[in-house]
Amino acid sequence: MNPFTYSRAADAAQAVAELASKPHARLLGGGTNLIDLMKMGVEMPEQLIDINRLPLAAVEELPGGKGVRIGGLARNSDVAEHDLIKTRYPVLAEALLAGASPQLRNRATTGGNILQRTRCPYFYDPDFPACNKRVPGSGCGALEGYNRMHAILGQSAQCIATHPSDMCVALAALDAVVRVQGPNGEREIVFRDFHRLPGETPEHETNLAPDELITAVDLPAHSLGVRSHYLKVRDRASYAFALVSVAAVLEMDGGEIKTVRIALGGVAHKPWRTADAEEMLTGKTPGEAIFRAAADVAMAGAKGYRYNAFKIELVSRTIVRALTTLTAKK
Amino acid sequence: MSTNTNTLAPRELGKPMTRVDGRLKVTGAAKYAAEFNPPGVLHGVALKSTISNGHIISLDAAAAQAAPGVKLVLSHLNASELKTPKLDPMTGGGIMNEERMPLSDHKISYGGQYVAFVVADTLERARHAVSLIKIIYESAAPVLTTKQAAATANKPKKVKGEEVQLEKGDVEKALADETLIILERIYATPTETHNPMEPSATVAEWTAEGQLILHDATQYVKGVQDVLAQAFDLKKEQVRVISPFVGGAFGCKGAVWPHVILTAMAARKVGAPVKFAISRQDMFSSIGHRTPTTQTIALAATREGKLQGIRHHVETVTSHVGEFVEIAGARSSGAVYASPAITVEETVFTVNAGTPTFMRAPGEAPGLFALESIMDELAAELKLDPLELRVLNHSDEHPSKEKPWSTKHLKAAYTLGAEKFGWAKRTPEPRSMQRDDGMLVGWGMATATYPGYKMAADARIRLGADGKVVVQCAAHDLGTGAYTVLAQIGAEAIGVPVENVKFELGHSDLPYGPVAGGSNTTGTVGSAIYDAAEKLHESLAKLAAADAESPLHKIAVKKIGMTEPGKMSALEEKGKSDAFGDILRRAGKEFLESNGGFKPSLLSMVAPSVIFQSFGAHFCEVEIDPLVPQVRLTRVVSVMDCGRVMNAKTARSQILGGVVMGIGMALHEETIYDSATGLPVTRNLADYHVPVNADIVDIDVHFVGEPDFAFNPMGARGMGEIGTTGIAAAIANAVWHATGTRVRSLPITLDKLL
Repeated sequence: MNPFTYSRAADAAQAVAELASKPHARLLGGGTNLIDLMKMGVEMPEQLIDINRLPLAAVEELPGGKGVRIGGLARNSDVAEHDLIKTRYPVLAEALLAGASPQLRNRATTGGNILQRTRCPYFYDPDFPACNKRVPGSGCGALEGYNRMHAILGQSAQCIATHPSDMCVALAALDAVVRVQGPNGEREIVFRDFHRLPGETPEHETNLAPDELITAVDLPAHSLGVRSHYLKVRDRASYAFALVSVAAVLEMDGGEIKTVRIALGGVAHKPWRTADAEEMLTGKTPGEAIFRAAADVAMAGAKGYRYNAFKIELVSRTIVRALTTLTAKK
Repeated sequence: MSTNTNTLAPRELGKPMTRVDGRLKVTGAAKYAAEFNPPGVLHGVALKSTISNGHIISLDAAAAQAAPGVKLVLSHLNASELKTPKLDPMTGGGIMNEERMPLSDHKISYGGQYVAFVVADTLERARHAVSLIKIIYESAAPVLTTKQAAATANKPKKVKGEEVQLEKGDVEKALADETLIILERIYATPTETHNPMEPSATVAEWTAEGQLILHDATQYVKGVQDVLAQAFDLKKEQVRVISPFVGGAFGCKGAVWPHVILTAMAARKVGAPVKFAISRQDMFSSIGHRTPTTQTIALAATREGKLQGIRHHVETVTSHVGEFVEIAGARSSGAVYASPAITVEETVFTVNAGTPTFMRAPGEAPGLFALESIMDELAAELKLDPLELRVLNHSDEHPSKEKPWSTKHLKAAYTLGAEKFGWAKRTPEPRSMQRDDGMLVGWGMATATYPGYKMAADARIRLGADGKVVVQCAAHDLGTGAYTVLAQIGAEAIGVPVENVKFELGHSDLPYGPVAGGSNTTGTVGSAIYDAAEKLHESLAKLAAADAESPLHKIAVKKIGMTEPGKMSALEEKGKSDAFGDILRRAGKEFLESNGGFKPSLLSMVAPSVIFQSFGAHFCEVEIDPLVPQVRLTRVVSVMDCGRVMNAKTARSQILGGVVMGIGMALHEETIYDSATGLPVTRNLADYHVPVNADIVDIDVHFVGEPDFAFNPMGARGMGEIGTTGIAAAIANAVWHATGTRVRSLPITLDKLL
């Protein structure tokens, strides 16, 4: 771990100002990922700006029935157990509870969860020389290396890492909006535009500016008939990142699918929305055949590697299982 | 000694006694190696090589040396020259699997090899300074697979007196017999890494008198003493090794690994105590691992299912800096089923990985995965019940050594297990037990086995006039319950209540104790305690016989024995007895000491006339969604034949833990090496999966419990390892029964079932 200084922000404006003045500073929320990365020598901030005392931990209803706002510092466990989330956005509660361990969820914040880094071992462990995300231009160790946990969609020759979050998959399916504050005030970023694909610059993971702070995540209101489900597939029963996961949000109109939103985890550099599959399912009568057809559409263009080619078939099956479970719900 | 009169029904043995050290552990009062903080202790952190095949061209430690708090940077440029120990484990010597002395030259033969060691006043400063060392390597492509290492193929005939290659009868003839059913399959097990809760740790301190004191997380205090004494050219008495509590080991703390030597070297150089608590990441390269295996097994059987031939070819790997042989064939196919012809061939290749070592049931665990899988395949082929096939091929003597068993109650274990599990309700066809909700259900079983090993041990007993007893041996409690069970054995052998017995272990000043390996502690140390107890009774008898006030006055010593707890009695005159305390008090003694020991002859170890071997059977059930085939284990029944149970509670825990480790082997564990660098990729507990609580369900453990008095006076064989054997095959067999897919390479991850 590198020597660093520590400061505590009194309010969001101070945090943002400090961040803007120090290009190598990092915000400290729950620290569950950042401290790990510092110990590993991946993150070497000159300063940690502790934002834990900022009043951003609330989960509250937005006025005018516009949905629910989750504070950027709301802990994952508090969000998962909050009545507003459990009753209106159960897919988010399910996703949160499928992630990490109770101890980690008690610390981890909403903003930090969104900004967590990939768990690609070639990124996480500087003993591996090649990682374009850690050292731009050094190559990608995972491409020919151990890539079981890696991307099959939207990746590039520079990076095949995945975003590890469960929560973010649910947020993508819920069409969440991220509220951020910078030196010039507040702005909103639609969740599906928040994370970037790796392209030529895998070191740029999000569209958050270096001097911006996530203050909240807004969940838009949706009608009461909406059903949702988060299905996580992993190598052990708990405390493992997703091989693949599916967050599905669905509304029926009689015997037909009125709307459906499907987001995939564990497959890409960002939570992956499946617009073509969603479109294909809209207006259809639910059934395994149409689910499978939609899943295959979602996987069009997927590319696997030595250790993860199985994910293409696994994602399709997981979509079918998630939608089957969801449409069977009373 | 003729007063071997202690043949009473057990009083203390078998009780489900709660661990005597339980409270210490849950309150944090039990001190583990890394928790010892001698005044002025400094902290060490190692730098690991980032290549696996090559050498160091240059190493620049100037920045690290100049960093705040740094006291020492050790590398091959300034490491002490040490003597290479000559070790003879057959006669109680220490164990080193990695034979190279740390930092002894610039060569790198495996990824993660320690190339420098920084000592600083705080852990954080040491860790930071490590990051400042600059190394330039000359690196060649790593040789990691048996294919890449083909030129290094080696077929060791024997390892430490044990046959590795076997040849009995004419296997080739059986395999060519067209009237027989022939089956040949290839099975593979991956590299697995021990992950006890407590990573290895050493605190080394040199006294002004030149004595070396080590607090070390070890399975073998006397072994560490031997190795360090030789390496640093000291007398054994000058090395003191202390290890009262060990937080799990599973074999990785049996040998002396580089960190122990490095810590002692650094402490001497820096003139202050040094602590090196190795990191979880270090555990994946520097303390051994279970070597990967590729096993080709062929069976020849009659149509009725009688085995006529077993041919088991094993390929494993070892390192450039030490040879370790897993012995997966001889310990499985050579030890379980009756067959007129058995051939085992084992080839070891040398690769750029750290040296493998013992990991819970070395040999049996991977070997039985292959043997017990192909037995299941044979049963399916013959349309026989898998259990029936095993009973049909039950061996009434050791199949390759062709010597009788001391005792064997495997059939009873099969019967009890089948009954507890409800095996009779199994329908034979795969996918035939699918539930109404679509979930596939599969039932599988497998045989477990592990030898009863004997080693040498000494024990000392100190009986106080107040009835309190201290029993001592440099044994080890790895979290297994040895403190408790050895106290029970002491109480039983001496004839006092267990509450009065304090067992002392984990210290090299104590009488000799062997490595806590090969599931031998209970049997070996227990035998030494029994011998010391007999000697104690003899001394008591002598005191009493010589004492005019004793009811036993003038009775021949050999006609006095301990036939009732707490007193010596005349064997031929009813009613004449004298209490221990009375004997001592009248003799004016506050206490009486006795020393005993147990020394199996070399011959009895390498060429025994009877074979001591434990057996068992696992039955298990899995549930699998055919669409998204994550394997969920739903129940396990394990029945073990390990002789008499010393403590029903800790024995159950031992088997339970063994089964859990076997579940990890079956479903989760795999150490992957990066093909480009040779570094282990999965080197933390997030990437290297062991089972979590949510993976573990109902495990129902039973014992046959028939004593084996030919083995030792307690009639008990060890339980540390057998639980891990066979379970991976039982699960693989259940997965086949559920899905129709036979997974022949571990771990059984869902991609293999898509």
